[in-house]
Amino acid sequence: MTDADPTSETVLETPPADETAVEPLALSTVETIGTDIAENVSRVIVGHEDVIDHVITALLGRGHVLLDDVPGVGKTMLARSIATSVDCTFRRVQFTPDLLPTDVTGVNVFNQQTREFEFQPGPIFGNIVLGDEINRAPPKTQSALLEAMEEEQVTADGETRGLPSPFTVIATQNAIEPNRTYDLPFAELDRFMKKLHLGYPSPEDEAELLGRTVGTHPIDELESVTDRETLVRAREAVSQVQVAEPIREYVTRLVGHTRENAHIGVSPRGAISLLRASQARAVVDGREFVTPDDVQVEAPVVLSHRVKTNDRARDGSDIVADALERVPVEERDG
Amino acid sequence: MSTDAESRRTERTISLGGTGTGRNETGRTVGPGAFRTLALGCVLVLLASIVSVLQDVTRVVGGTDSLFVLAGTMLLAATLLARLIRPRTATIAAVTAASLGFAYYLEASGVGVGVVLSATESLLADVVTLVTGLSLLRTVEASALTLGLVPAPVFLSWYLALRGRYALSVLPSGFALCFLVLTGDADLTITLIGTLAALGTVGFGELERRGGSIAQADLLAVLFALIIVLSLSVTFVPGNATGPVTLDRGGPSSLEGAIDSAGQRSGFTGQVDLSPEVRFTVESEQASYWRTGVYDRFTGDEWVRSGQLQSLNGPINSPPGEYDVARQVVTAETELGVMPVAPQPLSVSEGAAQYAEVTRHGQVHPSTTLIKDDSYVVESAIIDSDPASLKQAGTDYPDEIEEYYLQLPEGTSSEFDDRTATVTEDADNPYETAATIESYLRSSKGYSLDIEQPNGNVADEFLLEMDEGYCIYFATTMTQMLRAEDIPARYVTGYTSGQQVDDNTHVVRGLDAHAWVEVYFPDHGWVSFDPTPGGERDAVHMDRLQEARENGNENVDTDASEGVPIRNDSEDDPDDGSSPDPTEPSPPDNGTDPTDPTDPNNSSDPNGTNTTDPTRPNPGTPAAQDGDGEDDDTNPLATTIPREFLAFTAVALVGLAAAVHRTGGRELYFRTIGLYWQRRHDDPARDTERAYRRLERLFEREFRSRRPGESPRAYVSALGAQAATTLPSDQSAESGPQPRSQGDPQSRSDAHSDSQAHLPTHSQSPHTPDPTDPRVEHVLACYEQAIYGTGVTPDDAATAIEFVDELARERLPFVRSDTDTGPDADGLL
Repeated sequence: MTDADPTSETVLETPPADETAVEPLALSTVETIGTDIAENVSRVIVGHEDVIDHVITALLGRGHVLLDDVPGVGKTMLARSIATSVDCTFRRVQFTPDLLPTDVTGVNVFNQQTREFEFQPGPIFGNIVLGDEINRAPPKTQSALLEAMEEEQVTADGETRGLPSPFTVIATQNAIEPNRTYDLPFAELDRFMKKLHLGYPSPEDEAELLGRTVGTHPIDELESVTDRETLVRAREAVSQVQVAEPIREYVTRLVGHTRENAHIGVSPRGAISLLRASQARAVVDGREFVTPDDVQVEAPVVLSHRVKTNDRARDGSDIVADALERVPVEERDG
Repeated sequence: MSTDAESRRTERTISLGGTGTGRNETGRTVGPGAFRTLALGCVLVLLASIVSVLQDVTRVVGGTDSLFVLAGTMLLAATLLARLIRPRTATIAAVTAASLGFAYYLEASGVGVGVVLSATESLLADVVTLVTGLSLLRTVEASALTLGLVPAPVFLSWYLALRGRYALSVLPSGFALCFLVLTGDADLTITLIGTLAALGTVGFGELERRGGSIAQADLLAVLFALIIVLSLSVTFVPGNATGPVTLDRGGPSSLEGAIDSAGQRSGFTGQVDLSPEVRFTVESEQASYWRTGVYDRFTGDEWVRSGQLQSLNGPINSPPGEYDVARQVVTAETELGVMPVAPQPLSVSEGAAQYAEVTRHGQVHPSTTLIKDDSYVVESAIIDSDPASLKQAGTDYPDEIEEYYLQLPEGTSSEFDDRTATVTEDADNPYETAATIESYLRSSKGYSLDIEQPNGNVADEFLLEMDEGYCIYFATTMTQMLRAEDIPARYVTGYTSGQQVDDNTHVVRGLDAHAWVEVYFPDHGWVSFDPTPGGERDAVHMDRLQEARENGNENVDTDASEGVPIRNDSEDDPDDGSSPDPTEPSPPDNGTDPTDPTDPNNSSDPNGTNTTDPTRPNPGTPAAQDGDGEDDDTNPLATTIPREFLAFTAVALVGLAAAVHRTGGRELYFRTIGLYWQRRHDDPARDTERAYRRLERLFEREFRSRRPGESPRAYVSALGAQAATTLPSDQSAESGPQPRSQGDPQSRSDAHSDSQAHLPTHSQSPHTPDPTDPRVEHVLACYEQAIYGTGVTPDDAATAIEFVDELARERLPFVRSDTDTGPDADGLL
C-alpha cells in the first residue's frame, strides 16, 4: 500500500528540524523559484495557472493543500509535478477504506539481530506527501494525519518523532461517490491551508493536453528546478515578509465577518493561514510586503472550506465572497 | 514593524482630524480628570460673575469686604461639607441661609421679619419691581440685600458641583444670575460670561460622565458661539438697553440726555451738544432753577436714585424750617418725561397730581410723558437761606439724612479726601465749607462741553486730573467733596431758570439743562449750591442759541420769546429776569456769575459769593424734558463697538468652524479645494496617502467610487479595464461623448454617466484621468509602500503629490495647457 521508496532510510538521516539557523533567501530569488516551479509544472499540467500558483504559494507558505474534484482532471498529476519540481523526498499514500493509521505513520518492528524494536517509518516521513483519495480512508486513519500536519511530528508507541522539513501534504479527494467516502473531519479540513478545485480544462487546453499525451508522458521527463534546502530557506524568507497593521486588521475584519454570517466561521488558524498564504503571494508577485490584493486573491481558497453554513443555498465560498465584497479594505476615518 | 505601522496610523488619525483647531489633537489626551477641572472651573466662573455683579453694588454702598468674606466662607463650607452631608441636608441648609439672608435684609430695612406675614402682598410687589428692572442699587438697603443674596447660591452650587451634580449645581447660581439680569444689574458681558460658564459646566460635566473626548466638545463650541452671537444681537433685558422714551430730540450726546436717565440714573458722558429747542415755559414770580431729578447714590460713574416712586397723595413733606410758598405754572412746549419744579415742591395741582409720582427725595415725576401744552401748577417751599442763619445751623443731622446722603463709593482715593480737606481747611461750619468748595471749583476749573469722559471715579478724576468740564462734573465733585467732609449733600438735575420774556414768564430750552448740588442744613432743609462757573457757561450756551436762531431751527422760540434778542449785552443780567434779554444767561440762577455783584435772586448768598442757588427754591412747574435717558447706556457701547464687533466676528467664526467640523463640512472642503491642492507635511507617508486619496476622488468624479471591499490596486485596475473600453475613441479622436457611449455594453452605463458629467467641458478637455497612466501606477505603488510596506522616501512622496497635481489640473480647461504635454507624451501611448 505504501509506495515503498528505496531512499526512505536516507531521508531519516537528514536532521528533521534544524531550521533554527536557516538563512532566509533573498525575496527576489524566492520569486524566481516560484516562477521556475510554475513553469516546470505547466509543462505537465495544461492551463490551471491559478491553481498551480496557489499550490506553489501554499508550498512557500508552509501550508498543506487539498485538491478536491472529480476524478481524472489531473489532481494527482499536479501533485506529482510539484513534488518532482523540488528535489526532495516524495511519498505517496493511497488511501483506502482498510488503511490503518500505522500504515501511514510507521510501526516499531522487532529486529532479530539487535533484538530490539526498530521504528519503521511510514510514508508520512517525506518532504512532500501525496495523500491520494484521502477521503476513502475511515476517520481513524485520517486522524493519523492530524498531528503530522499541524505539528510536523508523529507519535508512535509513545515516542514522538519529528518529520523532515519541509513537510507538505498534498491530498486529493473525490467529490463524487459520497456513499463510499468519509467526510473529512472538520478539524482535519481546517489543517489544510487551501482547498482547491481544478475543474475541467478549457477546450483549447484540452486539445493541447491531448496533444501532449502522444509519445512519452511529460511527467517522466520532468526535472527538478530547486532542492530541499533552498525550499526551506525560501519558506523562511516568506515568513518574514512584512504584514502591516492595516492588513492584519483587514484579515481580522474578514474573518470576523464570516463568523458573524455563518454557522461556523473561520478559525484563528484560518486567519494565520490566510496571512501566510498572502505573504507567499506577495513574494511570488515580486513585492516585499503584503497588500490587500494578496489577501483577496488567497481568501477564497484559504477560507471557504473552513466556513460551515446551515443554509443549503449558501456554502462557505459564498460567505467568503460576500465578506470580500462588503468588508472595507481600509478603515476610512477621514 | 508593527510599532512602526502603529505610530504611523496614529499620526494619520490625528492629521485627518486636525485641520480646524488644535483642540482635536489635544483632545486625545484629555481625560475625565481634565473635564472635571473644566466643569468646576466653569462653576467658579459662574459664581464669580454673580459675586462681581454684587460687588458692583457693594462698591457703591459699602460692604465689599463682607461680601468676599461671605462668599469665601460659603465656598469653604461647601468644600468641607461636600463629602459629609447629603444633598437634601445641603439644600435645606441653603434654603435656610437664603431665608436668613432675606430676614437680615428685612431687619436692616427696618421693617422687621413680621412683614412677611403682615404685608406679603407688598413684598411680592417689591420682588416684581426688582425683577422687572429695578436695580439693586436703587433699593434702599442695597448692602443688606446684596449680602443676603450671596450665601445660598454660592454654597449650594459649589456643593453640588463638587459632588458631580453639575446640571443641578447650575440651577441655584443660574437662578441668582437670572435675578440679577432681571434687576438690570448684570450687564451684558457678565451675563454672557455667566451663561457660558453655566453651559460649560453642564457640557463638560456631561463629557466627564460619559467619558467623551474633547473632539466632541465641538457641539459645545457651537452652542457657545450661538449664545454669544444671539445675545449680542438681541437684547431684551429690561432696564439695561431700553431707556424710557422721553424726547426724540435730545440725542444720546445731548446735555439733557446726559443728565437725566429716566429719573432713576444720571450718568456722565464726554462731549455733549446743546439743544436750542424750547422745552417748557414757567409762569412764576420768582425765577429759580427748575429741578427735575434728585439723586443720592453715586457709583463712581453714575448717579442712582434709590427708592421707588410712589403715587402722590396729599402734600409732599415740607422742609423742617421756615419757608415761603411760591407758585408756578409750568406748560410743556414739547413732549416731556420729567416735571420741572422749583425746589422744594410742596404740592401739585389736583389735575396734575393724578399723573404725578414722588420720590423719597421729594421730587415729582410724571407717570406718563407730558405732551405739548400740558400744564400744571406747583407750590414750592422757598427755604430761608440767609447765610447767617445757615452758618448757625450746626451739624445735628437727622439719622435718616446721614444714612443716605453721606455715601461715597468705595475706592474713593485718599488724595480726594486730602485735597478736599485742604480746600476746606479754613471753613468753620458746613455752610462755609459748601461755599468754599463752590468757589474753589468755580475758580479752579474751566467750563467746556467738549471733553473726554474720564475712566474711573468721576469726582476723583475731575478734582484731581481734569482742568475743565461742565455742570455734571462740577456738581458731582462738589457733592462728593461735601460728603467727604461729612456734610449731607445730593446731586440734583434740572434746568436753569431760562430766558425771561416778561415779568413772570420764563422760557426754558434744552440748552438750559443743568446739574447742581443741594446741601442739607438742620432746621432749614435742602439748600442749593451751583459750583459751575456761570459766566463761561452762559457764553457757551448763548452762542449755541444764537447759532440756532440764525440757522432758523424749528422750535427754538415760543411766540413770546421770538422777538427777544438773545444776547444780552450786559452779560449777566442781574438777576431779575427783568433784564431785557432774558437770554439765558440770566436764568441760571442769576447767579451765574458768581462774581456778579448783583446776585440775582436775592437772597441767597449771603456771601454773595456764590451760592447762587439758594434761591432756587421756587418751584416751577415745569415740565421739562429731560433728555433721553439713553445716553449712559448706549454711549459706552457705541464707542466700543468696533472692538466688540471683532470679537463678535471671531466668536461667530469659531462657532461656524465647529459646526462645519460637526456636520462634516471638512469633507466638502477636501473634495473641492483639496482636489487641486495639497499641503505638504514632513511625513512622506502622510503626504503619499493624501495624494492617493486625491487621486481616488479624481477617479470618483470620472468613473465610480471605490467599493469598500475593493483594494486600491483592484480599484485602479478595474477602472483601467473600464477605461480601456470607453476611452480609446476619446483618445484617438478627441471627438466627445458620442463615440464613447458606444463602448462595450457592460460598461455602457458607466460611460454614459461619465460622458454626461463631462459634456460641458468635454470639447475642450477630453482629459479624463486615465487609470492606466504610469503616473497613477507610481502614486499607487507609493501608497502601497507607505501603508503596507516599509514606508516611502520623501522624494517618492513629492513625486506622487506632483503627479496627482498634474492629473487633477489637466482636468481644468485653462490650467491644463501648461502641463499638458507631459502626460500625453509619455502617458497615453
